[in-house]
Amino acid sequence: MIRFENASVTYPGGVHALKDVTLDIRDGEMLIIVGLSGAGKSTLIRVINGLVPLSGGDVKIDGVSVRHAGSRQLREIRSKIGMIFQTFNLVKRTTVLNNVLMGRLYGAGTLRSLFAWYRPEDIEIAMQALERVDIVEKAYVRASNLSGGQQQRVGIARALAQQPKIILADEPVASLDPPTSHVVMRDLQRINRELGITTIVNLHFLDLAKVYGERIIGMRGGELVYDGTAAQADERVFRDIYGRSLTADDVMSEAATAAATL
Amino acid sequence: MAGAAERPHPPTHAKRNLALLGAALLVGWAAVTVDVDPSEILDLPGGVALLFREMFLDPGPDWSYLPTALEGMIESLQLAWVGTVLGAILSIPLGFVGAKNVSSGGVSNVVRQLLNAIRAFPEVVLAVAIMIPIAGLGPVAGALAIGLHSIGTLGKLTAEVIEGIDPGPVEAARAAGGGSILVQRWGVLPQVLPEIVAFWLYRFEINIRAAAVLGVVGAGGIGFSLQQTISFHRYSLAGTAVIVVVLVTIAVDTVSGWVRRRIIEGAGAKRVDADAIAHPELAEVVTGPVERP
Repeated sequence: MIRFENASVTYPGGVHALKDVTLDIRDGEMLIIVGLSGAGKSTLIRVINGLVPLSGGDVKIDGVSVRHAGSRQLREIRSKIGMIFQTFNLVKRTTVLNNVLMGRLYGAGTLRSLFAWYRPEDIEIAMQALERVDIVEKAYVRASNLSGGQQQRVGIARALAQQPKIILADEPVASLDPPTSHVVMRDLQRINRELGITTIVNLHFLDLAKVYGERIIGMRGGELVYDGTAAQADERVFRDIYGRSLTADDVMSEAATAAATL
Repeated sequence: MAGAAERPHPPTHAKRNLALLGAALLVGWAAVTVDVDPSEILDLPGGVALLFREMFLDPGPDWSYLPTALEGMIESLQLAWVGTVLGAILSIPLGFVGAKNVSSGGVSNVVRQLLNAIRAFPEVVLAVAIMIPIAGLGPVAGALAIGLHSIGTLGKLTAEVIEGIDPGPVEAARAAGGGSILVQRWGVLPQVLPEIVAFWLYRFEINIRAAAVLGVVGAGGIGFSLQQTISFHRYSLAGTAVIVVVLVTIAVDTVSGWVRRRIIEGAGAKRVDADAIAHPELAEVVTGPVERP
């Protein structure tokens, strides 16, 4: 259970990226956050694992405060939260397996990780994570040799290798084409359902949000402006969140969506 | 179409002309100061031709000197290699601490200045002024001098490469719960290692040349043979030594250059050209690392 209690973030320079957000996220939920760029979606995600420090209020994970955690405790919290990034954030010059093993940084122990002397169990966990996203045959290939969709699946495998309770995905499909986006979103949905991992995803394509989100949250100017089911989120709601009429730029092409959902 | 915009005036060349004038004055001043004698410059080609003839044509290289020259050259390679490894190992921690995005700005500045100070002294000066008095004449002094100078150059390059990394993997390593050392180990090191190892090899190529010179001041290697044979006017022997230096250096450069390209590009090097269009950041691997002063 993730609980936001009047969480606020002010960046140096005075931007209020998050204003007094109060929110509960239940275990095993698939939550999608929508909003314009700059609405605070990335900040909302990053305060959960403390990559962005809070300036007011608190975020508690199973009752443990992220704001007041020491660096050791924070690393323990982070080890249970997998993260997926818009630009994948792989080390392109090393192998896929080494990238996935980054998910074992906390679990494998400092000395073992330092000298890449991993236990067979850790390698097994990494291999199983790669199997789950169906890309295990690329384990010993350099990450730079993969396509964007393949790199994002490696990113998901790296998060899975942490054996997390929560997965945070920050615009995971924004760098991908529509059919590949659906592959990645379905991977996330499957992981959420099969493993019961709480999954929180930032998206800016509304149609994807409606297809994959059980619960949708709308952000605008750092504030929570909508919290409801995907079914309730109609065009009026999205107009509210975006503060303007919707345009073709806000949705993926119908054809690609239809083709991918067949 | 836009209306007729006013045509720009041609830029003036005042600054360029001023710079050219300044450069000319500088050359003139330097020439006067070091007392260049025009007749000496005119004599130079003749002197070179004479030396060249004595060494390589008439009487030409004396092949009985080949074993001695080879032995000296191998010693030069050895001290270049030991010095490079020494410099490489010690430059890694200094490079990390010297990178602003790893340590704080203040600490990195201090380390950078230290590295600059080391680099200010060429190997020969380090050998004569510090290493020979400490370690005595011989290859140990040479290797230490090369190692110390290499720390300066390699440390600076390492720091610069680290400052140019993609911060994404660092964020990913932090998000996975890695401590600060592990974040460097897996978020930074794999990104920079190919480039840094390539620079080590490149430094090795440079150090071979430095090692050849170091023998002249008695710090081991083939430089000693060169200095002895030339000062005793044994040009046939010197010719043999010069040939050995040139051929061995070219051979090592070729192998080392091939290894460097393999390291930077990886085993599947064929794809690089195609990907350079989609990923411009990969384009740098096509040209390979460039020498930085």
